[in-house]
Amino acid sequence: MEDIRKSFHHDLDLIRDDIVRLASMVTEALGKATIALLDGDLQTANEIIQGDDVLDTLSLDIEERCYQLLALQQPMATDLRALVAALRMVAEIERSGDLVSNIMKAARRMYGAELDPKVRGLITRLGQEVHRLFRLSIDAYVDRNDGLAAALDDMDDTVDALHADYIQSIFESHETSAMQLQTAVQLALVGRYYERIADHGVNIAERVRYMVTGWLPEHTGAARLAAQNARSEMLSVAVEVAQGGEEAADGTADGRGA
Amino acid sequence: MSGVAAAALVVALVAVVVLARANRESRVLRSEVHRLRASSTADAASAAACSAGVARLERALEAIPQGVVVCDADGNEVFRNGAAAAFAGARHADALVERAIGDHLSSALAGVPQRRELDLFGPPRRLLVLTSVCLDDGTAVGGAVAVIDDVSERRRLEAVRRDFVANISHELKTPVGALGLLAETIAAEPDGAVNNRLAQRMTGEAFRVARLIDDLLDLSSIEAEETAVHEPVAVHAVVTEAVNRVRPIAESRKIDIDVSGVARRHTLRGDRRQLVSAVGNLLENACKYSDLGSSVEVSSKVQAGWVEITVFDHGIGIPESDLERVFERFYRVDRARSRGTGGTGLGLAIVRHVATNHQGEVQVRSGEGVGSTFTLRLPTGTGAIPSQPLPPPVAGATAVGSPEPPVLAAPSTGTTREEKTA
Repeated sequence: MEDIRKSFHHDLDLIRDDIVRLASMVTEALGKATIALLDGDLQTANEIIQGDDVLDTLSLDIEERCYQLLALQQPMATDLRALVAALRMVAEIERSGDLVSNIMKAARRMYGAELDPKVRGLITRLGQEVHRLFRLSIDAYVDRNDGLAAALDDMDDTVDALHADYIQSIFESHETSAMQLQTAVQLALVGRYYERIADHGVNIAERVRYMVTGWLPEHTGAARLAAQNARSEMLSVAVEVAQGGEEAADGTADGRGA
Repeated sequence: MSGVAAAALVVALVAVVVLARANRESRVLRSEVHRLRASSTADAASAAACSAGVARLERALEAIPQGVVVCDADGNEVFRNGAAAAFAGARHADALVERAIGDHLSSALAGVPQRRELDLFGPPRRLLVLTSVCLDDGTAVGGAVAVIDDVSERRRLEAVRRDFVANISHELKTPVGALGLLAETIAAEPDGAVNNRLAQRMTGEAFRVARLIDDLLDLSSIEAEETAVHEPVAVHAVVTEAVNRVRPIAESRKIDIDVSGVARRHTLRGDRRQLVSAVGNLLENACKYSDLGSSVEVSSKVQAGWVEITVFDHGIGIPESDLERVFERFYRVDRARSRGTGGTGLGLAIVRHVATNHQGEVQVRSGEGVGSTFTLRLPTGTGAIPSQPLPPPVAGATAVGSPEPPVLAAPSTGTTREEKTA
């Protein structure tokens, strides 16, 4: 029995290592993608797009192993949360990888387009900020740091603000200079992809919080709804009580009157 | 620069030799130890000597800059030196390296030695070369070794050298080629008005070559200057002279140069001509890469023995990936644009050399579409700031501005220079 548990924990560790590796592939690709996008580097773009198959294969493999462990070991408490979190995280990371590929596909489509410095500057900053956020979400996972994970939500606000500036600068660039409509649309999509990757980073952080503390952001909403329900229930009870009281009062009054 | 590259190469070669020898010897010693341990008549003293030898070799492997990971025939890791330790249980880019090490070791055990380059974004951005070799003694596989070598710096220097030769040929060939063509056209052109226009173009191209040669001479004289003059120089005087020099460019682009941030009392010891040239080049770039009607700010401050002269613009900025290369000779971020501005591609190289000559440095921060900030950091020198009350002898020396720098300053600059060249 001891041995089985030992190998189970070993398997859990391997899954964690592979998730870290999967995420590393995405962060690496993400960092390179921003530079390739700005430099119009088609070779790197193609490498990243092809690299997505490796990501898909590894994520499938991790998922499969998670199912096996769930079925064979029937883990509980922390172990169960770690496995469930892993399953959800693999999906988030894999999707982020797809988005990086999408950025590279957009780079291919707008190859040769001249971007003005302001737009380029904002792409650089957006890229850096998203890269940092995604990296930190994995740091939070490896260190089981729920404080850091909680802080990522605020970082996402920075990304959203940058994204808004960026979209505005595309409009300006399109109006003032000769930026083609096709380029403008591709750029807007690229911004969206970055913004989505940051959201996936935040989701990963939420799963980390769940893994460490068992808390999910949805709990806040659920608690709010429950509180609301409880309140309305109490209200109706109160109304009933009040009505009952009135009736009773009427009754006594009647009784007294009678 | 080539010296550094050569040094890096030598280090690499030495490391490889050491490594090869270490591998061979440790194998020999280890098998020796095993043999001795196995035999019942083993001499305890010689066994101890052997294990001391193994320990010494392990320390040697520990000391080399490359990462080394050794595994036994079953693929279990038996040794990992300090440089490779960072990859174990790592995250981000290092996690990918760790995986690659594992793959390399197992493929080497299977008899397929590998060599692969890993281009990592990081940060820090790195280029690692992974090599794995199977360790067999001719009869059986005894394990495998993987070596991780960081070649980023080597590759960077190679690129600098390669680009320099290509760029200088290009910079010289373009105007000279144009001159030839224009002269040919003039010879065949009967129309005087057209000839006039062509001659003007020729003058322009001739100017460009002349400026390029001037800058090259300037740069080589700054590079060659072993005994730079170190006289007390007022920072605001340097800035004023530099501003006067770039005034025509600034006026033509309606750029306002704001020098209100330069304090009047800051001084440093250095070569006035070189310093003016450095600040002038920074200002020229700031003006050229700013939009019409924008502004450039210059400021200075003194902090713990260092003067910082900062030139700040609101121009187009420099892409992140080019930032570390802009100080190279003839390096251009955007070829079409920068040649259009009439620069020679040497301005920032001159700035960096002036900074180095003064035992200082130049730093750059930039965001595309936001602007660039260049900071020239120079030591104030052992001489003192005149605004402060000084003991008579030193004050006398600086006030008179004697050609000989004070004795205090000479040895310190002398030693740093020797250290630099050594």
